[in-house]
Amino acid sequence: MEALKIKKDAESTIKEFLKFLMDKNKVEAVFTLTRMEDGFSYCLIKDKEIISQAVPFYPFMPSNAGKMLSRITLIEPLRKPILAILRPCELRGFIELVKRDQGSTENIFFMSFICPGVFPLKKLSLGYEEELKEYKEKIEKGELSKNIRNTCKACEHFIPYNSDLTISFIGENGKESILIIENEKGENLIQGFEGERIEFEKNFVNMKRERKKERERIIRETEEKGKGLDKFISLFGRCISCHGCSKICPICYCKLCDFDSSSHEIEPSSYEDEVKKRGGIRVPSNVLLYHLGRLIHVSVSCVNCGMCSDICPVDIPVSELFLVASLRVQRLFNYIPGRDYKEEIPLKTFEPEEFTEIAG
Amino acid sequence: MKVNKLIIDFLLSLMEKKKIDAFLLPLKVPSGDYYTYVLTDEKELIEKGKPVPPVMPAGGARALQSLTRLGSLKRKTGIIMHPCQIKAVIELYKMKQVDLENLYLFSFDCPGVFPAEKYIKNPKETEKKFEEGNQNEIRELCKICDKFDMVYVDVYIGIKKENIYLTPKTEKGEEILKDFKLENQPEPEEIKKRRSEAKEKFIEDFEKEIKGPDALLSLFSKCINCHNCMRVCPVCYCRQCFFDSEAFDLSSENYLLRAKNKKALRFPADTLLFHLGRMSHMIFSCVNCGNCEDACPMDIPIGRIFTFMAEKIQKEFDYVPGRDPQERLPLVTYEEEELKWVEKPYTRILRR
Amino acid sequence: MEKDFEPRIVYFMCKWCGTGGSETASAWHFSYPENVIPYRVYCTGSLSTVHILRALIEGADGVLISGCHPGDCHYNNGNFRARRKVALVKKMLEILGLEPERVWFRYVAHGEGKRFVDTATEFSEYIKKLGKNPIKERRET
Repeated sequence: MEALKIKKDAESTIKEFLKFLMDKNKVEAVFTLTRMEDGFSYCLIKDKEIISQAVPFYPFMPSNAGKMLSRITLIEPLRKPILAILRPCELRGFIELVKRDQGSTENIFFMSFICPGVFPLKKLSLGYEEELKEYKEKIEKGELSKNIRNTCKACEHFIPYNSDLTISFIGENGKESILIIENEKGENLIQGFEGERIEFEKNFVNMKRERKKERERIIRETEEKGKGLDKFISLFGRCISCHGCSKICPICYCKLCDFDSSSHEIEPSSYEDEVKKRGGIRVPSNVLLYHLGRLIHVSVSCVNCGMCSDICPVDIPVSELFLVASLRVQRLFNYIPGRDYKEEIPLKTFEPEEFTEIAG
Repeated sequence: MKVNKLIIDFLLSLMEKKKIDAFLLPLKVPSGDYYTYVLTDEKELIEKGKPVPPVMPAGGARALQSLTRLGSLKRKTGIIMHPCQIKAVIELYKMKQVDLENLYLFSFDCPGVFPAEKYIKNPKETEKKFEEGNQNEIRELCKICDKFDMVYVDVYIGIKKENIYLTPKTEKGEEILKDFKLENQPEPEEIKKRRSEAKEKFIEDFEKEIKGPDALLSLFSKCINCHNCMRVCPVCYCRQCFFDSEAFDLSSENYLLRAKNKKALRFPADTLLFHLGRMSHMIFSCVNCGNCEDACPMDIPIGRIFTFMAEKIQKEFDYVPGRDPQERLPLVTYEEEELKWVEKPYTRILRR
Repeated sequence: MEKDFEPRIVYFMCKWCGTGGSETASAWHFSYPENVIPYRVYCTGSLSTVHILRALIEGADGVLISGCHPGDCHYNNGNFRARRKVALVKKMLEILGLEPERVWFRYVAHGEGKRFVDTATEFSEYIKKLGKNPIKERRET
């Protein structure tokens, strides 16, 4: 497909492009990762001078951006156009939320990029100069960095779906970047921007191979740690029932989770009866039920962003477990979350003749 | 730890004398890398328990909330927890989340707890440090906790030099300790003095890190608004927090307008409002346990911020959380003549 | 050309006495500055600390709160509870160094039209002298 080749590194290219878009009034505001005084966070930028602080490719995901876009467009769609720069998993998460009526894609131009992964949140609060250097070197060679999240190492969908423009800078020598034009909206945006027109094919065979190997290794290790009732109990032994994993997950959009509500509250007499039957019972209860329930509700749309493991206060590998479960479930229904707007969520639709081996 | 065994023997003898039917006490989880509360009446399980654990067990005072929110327990149950968690239980009782009937509260001279992360990385080494009485690597808030014996309990267990001393603090406590020989409890002077001095120094030094808009915003600059601190707080019991509710569902026009006023709007939005708002909702009941600082994924000193504010605000209103179940929360009561400094008097009549 | 600083003030008033004061003022043809934005609540006791904080963080330079005199509250004790909440907010702002003088709490009865108008004017002039609210421009909130 058609692409623009620009003789600058990706970050400078994008800053120029954003200024160009705002100058020509093609968009009202820009949504991207920005450097603030002491940290990094997503920002809705309306003033051109703040664009110089934009760092869209910094390896940091403070929160799934798809969830934040859903916040913005929940009550009503945007009335004026904006450009949002997201990672592939964040974009897929946003589309899954749109399918559930939690947002709208109207008036949003999506820009994404071939994603090299992000660091775990802990890294950023501890210091990371060495790791950042290694990360940049690996990008230029087109290889995986060893300090990124486990779900990033195992990522199957690092090439974005449904973006209007895609940026590629992995494997380039760090001095050039490619702006791939995915559709007509992208073409309209790019009109007037300087660059050499070329043909570009999204091959990336080596990157796919490396990630497949990592994926198989992580699945193997997680199954060793967690398969079977005893191991499952051990894995979640230290869960403190804070429910942080559900609140940070882009797919968990319920304002009041069923497992927080009064339908899961236990009478004191039930607790005392269980003590008589089993001799002792853990308080608060329903720890495993919560995780199994969330697996059932979420795994069909899980985008494997990895926020849940990062947020867990007691370091339970939640995202690796969801990676194993979601891969199998999504293959069962032949469904990839976020690939296609018109594809219905598997639990909302059915075929008359399917899974006959279950119903008999 | 020898003290743990002495306390377990005491609890078992209470059960033998039929004064108490069941206990809620910390036990190690099967995978061996954390502790949790277990309600049990079996001798074998209680013998494996650790009333003075090296980490804060999962849930803290909220474990008691999930037990008795809908009613009271029918059998006499003994609860043994860290002093800050018992204070949180009393605060939850004032907010009608816990029923104290048939409950017997026990607490002890607390040596502090280790941060969860340190324990999970290396359980064996941390247990050893705990046995040795290490006071340098415990939670920051534990290092400045000097009010651990001012808590409303039925029986207080003093700990000095590997011995335990039992003191009844209420009528219920006196009744169950009737057949025990009691010695006079020694004052935990040394450890209290050290922590008191550390606390004064902390309050002095922390002021410049928080005063003024620049300092305050730079403290919260890394915050990602995950709400973990609110979720693990023993006193924040709301099923649906105000800051997660529909009150914060705003239209896209609102966000764009705010972005225009400030040139750019940071997302997730309303981070400072969440922290100051949560502070104004629960600062009177803050027991300075430090669960929030443990749970924060970005290592923000949130426990120290809340402790700093709690010290000053609780002193201003002369309120100490967990001291007395009959004392009412400051925002629930009022006096007719008070707080005159808040009212702005009408002294200038302007000419037209 | 530098425009003069126009402070943005939010005036929370209770339905029974506060807005009563404004109606009396209008009957006598008094007027108060245009930059004072009135916001009616049913009772100052229903004001949450979060409303005051949100106003200060999202663009107000000052917050005024007016309710019935002690003993005159239509709901018996709403204004007493409001006094405690305002005391909490002012104390918090003082400890954090965020200018507690930007929050005023004054009683205004139904018939006190002049008092109502004088309060709004006096506060607006006071905030003009004090200057812009440093927190409202920050985007990291």
